[in-house]
Amino acid sequence: MSEINGKVLKHGEQTRTMHWMHMITFILLALTGIGFYFDIGFIGGIFGGEANASLVHRWAGVVFTVGPALYILLNFERFARFMDTIATFTKDDFGWLKTMGGYIPFLKGDVPPQDKYNAGQKMLGHLIIIGCLLMILTGFPMWLWRGVLPAAFLAFCYNIHFWVAVILILAIAGHFFLAAIHPKSRVEFASMMMDGYIDAEISAHHNEKWFNSLQEVKE
Amino acid sequence: MSTATLADTGIIQITKACKACDHCTSVCPTGAVKGLLGQKHSIDYKTCINCGQCLINCPFGAIIDTSSVEQVKQALNDSGKTVIVQEAPAVRVALGEEFGMPVGTNVKGKMHAALRKLGFDKVYDTEFAADLTIMEEGTELIHRVFKLAGVAGYEDRGPLPQFTSCCPAWIKYAEDKYPAILPHLSSAKSPQQMFGAIAKTYAANKQGVNPADMVSVSVMPCTAKKYECDRPEMKASGFQDVDYVITTRELATIIKDAGIDFVNLPDEEADKLIGTSTGAATIFGVTGGVMEAALRTAYEILSGESLNKVEFTAVRGMQPVREATVEIPIKDLGINLPVNVCIVTGTKYVDKVIEDVLAGRSKYHFIEVMNCPGGCINGGGQPIRHEMY
Repeated sequence: MSEINGKVLKHGEQTRTMHWMHMITFILLALTGIGFYFDIGFIGGIFGGEANASLVHRWAGVVFTVGPALYILLNFERFARFMDTIATFTKDDFGWLKTMGGYIPFLKGDVPPQDKYNAGQKMLGHLIIIGCLLMILTGFPMWLWRGVLPAAFLAFCYNIHFWVAVILILAIAGHFFLAAIHPKSRVEFASMMMDGYIDAEISAHHNEKWFNSLQEVKE
Repeated sequence: MSTATLADTGIIQITKACKACDHCTSVCPTGAVKGLLGQKHSIDYKTCINCGQCLINCPFGAIIDTSSVEQVKQALNDSGKTVIVQEAPAVRVALGEEFGMPVGTNVKGKMHAALRKLGFDKVYDTEFAADLTIMEEGTELIHRVFKLAGVAGYEDRGPLPQFTSCCPAWIKYAEDKYPAILPHLSSAKSPQQMFGAIAKTYAANKQGVNPADMVSVSVMPCTAKKYECDRPEMKASGFQDVDYVITTRELATIIKDAGIDFVNLPDEEADKLIGTSTGAATIFGVTGGVMEAALRTAYEILSGESLNKVEFTAVRGMQPVREATVEIPIKDLGINLPVNVCIVTGTKYVDKVIEDVLAGRSKYHFIEVMNCPGGCINGGGQPIRHEMY
């Protein structure tokens, strides 16, 4: 049994605020987007009709874009560290992927020590950044330049927007399952969604490399 | 029994496949497409001019036009019917696209050959009637100029400026929104309808065919032509002058369905009786074409001279509203008349031109209006383009 006690701050206040905002807007965007694509009148009805649902979708898209942009501007060093972390792939990360972090019962073997984000989270980070950029780069033309873009380009934007949305929704569903439901890692939920702290012992186990780089603060 | 006509139901329909992207509202020249972004769109048939610009510009192929393809196929299979066909100038330079040929390839000869293979008894050409139209419109313009000049015998002619009358989308727009402008419109029918009337009178007589047994089919780059042929006044022959209109796209589909190797067909000529034409007819399909053809006719008649150079390049171009002045010597009056002309491509740009005419401010003598950008070559019945830029 480990002798490590106390808690460590894993996610700062602005990070958590940004995550909350992104989560809420993502749910709104996904819900209204599914309503449009599959022509589900019930979903449009929740927002007072298709046209209003579209307005909610578009303005949620603005918040979805501006929120992270502001966060990056106000926390550039933190974001740079995040990018540096998820862009760094060592043999320990490949080792995590080989064992899938111990989440898959029949994949045996030791899980190597991980950074603040494990290899799976790093990949999700890339997917979300690229996916969000694609959604933004296709979504705004679909809204703002719908009257002037060539029809074929508009159709291309809609196709990209749809397939990236499918990938993101599936990825976020997996992220939610692991971060909020799976018994091995659901403690992450409270950390990101509430006070930002996580048990030091858990962190030392799941994010050993990062934990070892932290400095103890006496209170 | 339903009494609904095309005036009620329209030619263009938005299907359930509409993704509510709202692109069509920006291309509709009359604001007939209703709906907000995210809301499935619909068409107000009272203001729709059936031009089909929304159809060819729909990113999702969710807009369709009323089709007479099955009726044409039935007529072709009916041995008791004499089925004749005419094809507009703009069809021959677009049909090849549907068979993978480079954009703008003139497939006139192959088109005639394909139509014969499909079983049409006579393959004529709308260009014949386009020549008639321009003689009518050109002469009418001259008479209106004579009226303006105070020449005796022309007092009952229409006012200037004279507007062209070939484009059925433009005609419906004028009827719907500016009925006061109608006296300014040329009284000439469009080439399609002139052809239809002649086919069931002159041609039927020459061929010894009972017009009641004649089926007149028209291949057009235009969806509004479907509406035009169904107008109640288009029965000059005593029958419906043009029975069915199919678009360039629909002809391509029929050719493909019949298994015809279009690309390798040998070139064939149109049948002679009402199938020959001049170069003036050929340029009808592009903006400024009717104007240029009319000026050629007017110039020759008024000056009494043959043109050495037939091109009036001043009226060519792709700007939505263009104007030019052409000096025409009028032999009978001994004067040189500067004829001010205006060309409008895109009905959405015509409002100011009309308002100036109605207010008495217009300096023009002759105004060409074509609804579709660039003219009939970009009509609602043409192959759908897939350029990304």
